[in-house]
Amino acid sequence: MIFSFITGIAAISVVLIIVGTLYVLFKESSLSIERFGFLKFITSLDWDPVRESFGAAAALYGTLVTTALALIIAIPVAIGIAIFVTEVAPNFLKGPVGVAIELLAAIPSIIYGMWGLFTLAPIMSKYIEPFLQKTIGKLPLFNILFEGTPLGIDLLTASMILGIMIIPFTASISRDAFNLTPSVVKESAYAVGATKWEVVRDVVLPYSKLGVFGGIVISLGRALGETMAVAFVLGNNNQITTSLLDAAATVTVKLANEFTEADKDIYLSSLYYLALLLFMASFIVLSIAKFLLLKAENKLKA
Amino acid sequence: MNREKFRIIQSRIAFIVSTLTAMFGIFWLIFIIGDVLVHGIGALNINLFIKDPAPAGVEGGGLRNAFVGHLMITFFATLIGVPVGVLGGTFLAEYARGKRIARFISILSDIMVSVPAIVVGTFVYAIIVKPIGHFSGWAGAVALAMIMIPVVVRTTENMLSLVSWTVREAAFALGAPYYKVIIQVVYRGAATGILTGILLSIARVTGEAAPLLFTSFNNSFFSANMNEPVASLTVSIFQYAMGPYESWHAQAWAAALMITVFILFITIIGRLIIKWRYKK
Amino acid sequence: MKRILGLILALTVVLSFSMANAEETLNGAGATFPYPLYSAWAYEYHKTTGVKLNYQSIGSGGGVRQVVNRTVDFGASDDALEPKEIEKDKLLQWPQVIGGEVLAINVSGIKSEEMVLDSDSVCKIFLGEVKYWDDKEIKQLNPSLNLPHKEITVVHRSDGSGTTAVFTHYLSEACPAWKSKVGEGKSVKWPVGIGGKGNEGVANYVKRTPFSIGYVEFAYAKQNKLTYTLLKNPAGKVIRPTLETFAEAASAGNYDPKKHFYTWVTNVKSPNAWPIVAATNILVPKERVGENKKVVKFFDWAFSKKADEIAQSLVYAPLPEALKNKIRAYWKANGIY
Repeated sequence: MIFSFITGIAAISVVLIIVGTLYVLFKESSLSIERFGFLKFITSLDWDPVRESFGAAAALYGTLVTTALALIIAIPVAIGIAIFVTEVAPNFLKGPVGVAIELLAAIPSIIYGMWGLFTLAPIMSKYIEPFLQKTIGKLPLFNILFEGTPLGIDLLTASMILGIMIIPFTASISRDAFNLTPSVVKESAYAVGATKWEVVRDVVLPYSKLGVFGGIVISLGRALGETMAVAFVLGNNNQITTSLLDAAATVTVKLANEFTEADKDIYLSSLYYLALLLFMASFIVLSIAKFLLLKAENKLKA
Repeated sequence: MNREKFRIIQSRIAFIVSTLTAMFGIFWLIFIIGDVLVHGIGALNINLFIKDPAPAGVEGGGLRNAFVGHLMITFFATLIGVPVGVLGGTFLAEYARGKRIARFISILSDIMVSVPAIVVGTFVYAIIVKPIGHFSGWAGAVALAMIMIPVVVRTTENMLSLVSWTVREAAFALGAPYYKVIIQVVYRGAATGILTGILLSIARVTGEAAPLLFTSFNNSFFSANMNEPVASLTVSIFQYAMGPYESWHAQAWAAALMITVFILFITIIGRLIIKWRYKK
Repeated sequence: MKRILGLILALTVVLSFSMANAEETLNGAGATFPYPLYSAWAYEYHKTTGVKLNYQSIGSGGGVRQVVNRTVDFGASDDALEPKEIEKDKLLQWPQVIGGEVLAINVSGIKSEEMVLDSDSVCKIFLGEVKYWDDKEIKQLNPSLNLPHKEITVVHRSDGSGTTAVFTHYLSEACPAWKSKVGEGKSVKWPVGIGGKGNEGVANYVKRTPFSIGYVEFAYAKQNKLTYTLLKNPAGKVIRPTLETFAEAASAGNYDPKKHFYTWVTNVKSPNAWPIVAATNILVPKERVGENKKVVKFFDWAFSKKADEIAQSLVYAPLPEALKNKIRAYWKANGIY
């Protein structure tokens, strides 16, 4: 009886942490919520500690752009990897490649960030970014994306690192989803003469699309909340720019850089407000992901 | 070209592309790990482990404080997080099995696993650091424990569910109460699995820097006092890599190497255990 | 299971013992401006007394925030708080040492003390109006230098910074456009550039980014062998950053204990003064008398001859003896000395 009670409390602690976090973030940001409201806060570009006027627009923009770009980089690669591991690779390679990808997921984000600053940023500023400027940057419409001096401390580098970081998450969830396709279904497709690719395209992908999609949404949630990998190379500049070669800020980078340093109450409260928005956004995104994955699971059971 | 040939070529191309993407993924793994190895090994020396930091801009010194601090924070985080996680998982898999609450909590835990770590840091700052009046190793340990708990809850739940129900019934038949059955029979059956989950959750939190920035803070001296700010490897890496001094950069690489090797080691061990224990 | 529990228990006991006889630690946080010096002092102090002074350079804004929140034993800020803020937050404040800020640049072919800048050109560079290194604004100050036609990358601080407060105060005084467009403070809305964390981060970015310019405390430029410029001061003289030109500027300050030593020493009139100079300050919570006594003990030691020598070796100017005595009297008056 006592034991069951203790385990119950332990289980409830998960709920407590979530509710507590929401409550505390809400309470600490109330000053800023009262002062700026919701719409004004998320649309205001201001981040002006001198005049005590704060808005989240630039940070939200940075978060959205880096996340979106990271997904664009990661999704095709991740799905390709998943196809390779489940369908293409000879058996002796399946294991090692799978393990390698999972190890990529285990590397801590701070290592990605540090590697990004010392190794990737110089490569970006010396080779990749000038190359992009000379090629895609010359095209109309695309030119505004690649304006300015390539420094390597910018949205593009940060998104690259983030993209590399979420490849393994997306890949391993997609692989699991692919593996769930019953082999009977696959065999029958082969039996009617389908090529391997046709099986993947017409059987495996449709069969597992919910799972793959769930994996993508989870990666989206991860990318939203990632701090250290981007903190090194984003330059923490509160601005909205069209160019991917400019420094920017994300919600997480702002928190990491400014949280212990905000000197006025309203400043700190606005940072808590950012944290609250981030927490709610990732909670919603992750709930959607979970919902999709559960649905995928149920479909298989049925 | 006939249709048959086209389909085969199409299939080939698709698979070549997927092979290329896999190589692309592995390329980054080798690039990053190789880079950490090359820079890290070059910077390793015995002083790193036995000396405390020298003043800023002065050559020499080490990161003994951060190594010990990191061990302490992780150790206490494990001490807090593992019991709570294992017990919580037990509740879900045993007492609340199949009930709505179990499902609800296990979904919440899954979500919690991916919640931004930095938000946990701000939360712990508000509930521990500010009321107590100083940064402390304890605050850092609590923050890491909060990240650990959902991971352990979920793996424990899964592992306990794998223990077949007949085993429990056999024990009930001998007249043992449920809690004894759980502790003496079910835990034993699931021990390796739970251990693996714990190992993987340790690997997960060892690399975290964001939740420590506002909780355990940093300390330029060696301190075994968890009531004081405590240095950690990850926060030191952030500070040193962002700083201008060459000697800091070298030490940051060395610390990065140690942490990466440690995490990869634990992860591989964990995978091996799973493979060995649960092969078919 | 039992064995594991026993092991954990034993480890806990061992660890709590190791905690029981912990040495004395003082925790401080704040300005990155004096960090190289404070960490050198702390190192020396620990060697002689065994007391650990853990100083974390998180920025002056952080120093003020953490001391107001009472999460550290002392805070440090280059941006002296106004007397009414000191009273409101129940703090004590005194200056500790003097430092100067220089403009660090990364332009290939140009060495330290070769380039001359004045407040007007610095202002325009940081406003984004002067965009290239060969702009006429820079050229006319440096007719003999071979300036490249390359875009200037501005590096500023990303965190709440006293170094920024001093720098923007200097610009606001000297350049009306700056005052109306940006203003002054620990963190401002920067028109252009990338943000580094702390003096450390700015120095790191300047070092790694070709054709960049940033403002850092002189010790960071010195220790990291960054290229720095000369500056024209309000008297119209081109000045080198040295101990003497820093001390000259600092001597113009009006250090009044009644105002908790609040004063500015940028753009002072003397022809031999470096224009961007500040006395960096220590802040302590007024009510924590016991801790404050220990903190003061350290900072009094930091007024000693030995500590002064360490400061000078890093190009921080020690306070004049008369001011040190004023501060000691201030400590005494507040019962912490």
